[in-house]
Amino acid sequence: MAGPFVLPGGSNLAVAATLVLLPLILPSPTLATEILIFAMAALACNLLLGYGGLLSFGQGMFFGAGAYLAAIAMIHAKVGLLVALLTALCSGALIAALVGALAIRRTGIYFVMLTLAFNQTAYFIAYTLDGWTGGDNGLLDVPRPPLALFGHIFSDLGSPTAYYVFVAVVFLIIFMASGRIIASPFGSTLIAIRENEARADAVGYNTRHFKIVAFAISGAITSLSGALYAMLLNFAPLENIQMSESILIMTVIGGAGSLLGSLLGAGSWVIISDILADIWPRWQILMGGALILVVLFLRGGIWGGIESLLKRCLNKKER
Amino acid sequence: MLYIFQILNGLGLGMIYFLISVGLTIIFGLLNFVNFAHGAFFMVGGYLCYSLVALTGSFWISLLIGPLIVAFLAWVSEKTLFHRIYHLPHTFHILVTVGIALILQESAIIIWGPIGKNIAVPQELQGVVTLWSFAYPVYRLFLIAFTIVIGMILWFLLERTRFGALVRAGSESAEMVSLLGVNIHRLFAQTFALGVGLAGLAGILSAPIRGVHPFMGVEVLGIAFVVVVIGGMGSFIGALMGGLMVGLVQSVMSTVWPEGASLMIYGAMAAVILLRPYGLFGRA
Repeated sequence: MAGPFVLPGGSNLAVAATLVLLPLILPSPTLATEILIFAMAALACNLLLGYGGLLSFGQGMFFGAGAYLAAIAMIHAKVGLLVALLTALCSGALIAALVGALAIRRTGIYFVMLTLAFNQTAYFIAYTLDGWTGGDNGLLDVPRPPLALFGHIFSDLGSPTAYYVFVAVVFLIIFMASGRIIASPFGSTLIAIRENEARADAVGYNTRHFKIVAFAISGAITSLSGALYAMLLNFAPLENIQMSESILIMTVIGGAGSLLGSLLGAGSWVIISDILADIWPRWQILMGGALILVVLFLRGGIWGGIESLLKRCLNKKER
Repeated sequence: MLYIFQILNGLGLGMIYFLISVGLTIIFGLLNFVNFAHGAFFMVGGYLCYSLVALTGSFWISLLIGPLIVAFLAWVSEKTLFHRIYHLPHTFHILVTVGIALILQESAIIIWGPIGKNIAVPQELQGVVTLWSFAYPVYRLFLIAFTIVIGMILWFLLERTRFGALVRAGSESAEMVSLLGVNIHRLFAQTFALGVGLAGLAGILSAPIRGVHPFMGVEVLGIAFVVVVIGGMGSFIGALMGGLMVGLVQSVMSTVWPEGASLMIYGAMAAVILLRPYGLFGRA
């Protein structure tokens, strides 16, 4: 993927500004919320693919698990918003760590096949357990409880704008945390493993351990986004588990190896689908084409393209 | 009696899976190329069968021309796109072919609509064969016989001809074969067209039984990878045995617990990768 990309100091600020502008530019706050939710999922996929070099077809399983588990916790155990999200976060980390621990026993194509096999297995398990998941119909009537801590209600999150603000805050926390993770020694080691696993191993790093932790982090964030998505739709469809490919495409088109790229990738996917869904339902053909073009000509994705354009402009000024 | 019926069904289904998987496995063996668009070409074969039957009224013409059209499509895409990315890591093969699969699937919906089509069993093969008190559809028997013949021709092609020798030698070392004066680019393109053409043929053969729909490619791709992984990447006999195993399991389980069949085959695949990474018939 693209070379190691160091977060510029202003990138957190740029994202914060984008979060404020997004609902003002877009026709509805719901659309903006959707972008941020998928941006989180793409971000998590990016941690694996862009930084760890691990192409996972299991992201849909984590996304779906987060949606189901948060919903089940809210419906059956009547837990509140934060506990439900925490449930998704922890169980996502656990599932991903388990799946990761098995999948990383193989590399290359066999690794990819294992993630695919586990994802399919998860799909059929969710399909079979229709008492809990609603099976083919999906889990209906997922609540969106008010944001409350120790009995004090901050907001009922009933309006689309209120929910957007909440998701935006969660996104900003996740984005900043991811930036910290990438910049930390853990992140550098992950990149070292991506570049040359044998070397990282020889230097003395336990590469398996690092990959499993990367999986756990990615699974936690993906499950969190799945839970937020279920609360947005008030619905947890079975198709969530088949989202792996879409999440992967968003990540690659936006730019594997840059966190801002994930926001761009998810943004373009959601906006294009929203504009074209009614007039041209076959819009995904564009995404297929874009994916091929990115691999052939623009390995850094949209963000990589913007970055090199910026660099070229700055170089001209210096001369 | 029901079990004989299911076993015969499983044999037919298994041979279809064999045709798809053997193409995938030859391509992986020689070209070291991971083709996630393989299922999409299978789907294109099925739809070509529908259109050719509608156009000419003859299933036999579609059986003859359909695979050639799919192979030609594959040849063109190899020449224009895929050969450019052979040198890249597998990750990029997967991404590009996922893109192609998406384009083919959406194009099929644009051309033929989002709802599936049914294809009539050809006139000559309608009806059932009755043996004692046991009745079995003629077309399914034809399917088993025909795929066995194709399998034998394919075996002969790969094991007893110069082309096959080159493919097998190239799987060991493509560089060496090219240094010995073989036009490796042509060999790659031919092998890719052959492998994908077999997927197209499988699509045509299965169309009268299962009909065609735009998402059949995705379903079958997963199964083809399971077969190839269980049998061993690059192994002809592995694709045959794996295909038959998966076909039989699916068919026998379909009356008992259909979702269980999928759980079983994906579970088996995970177990094989973890315990016997080169497959049951592959070489380390």
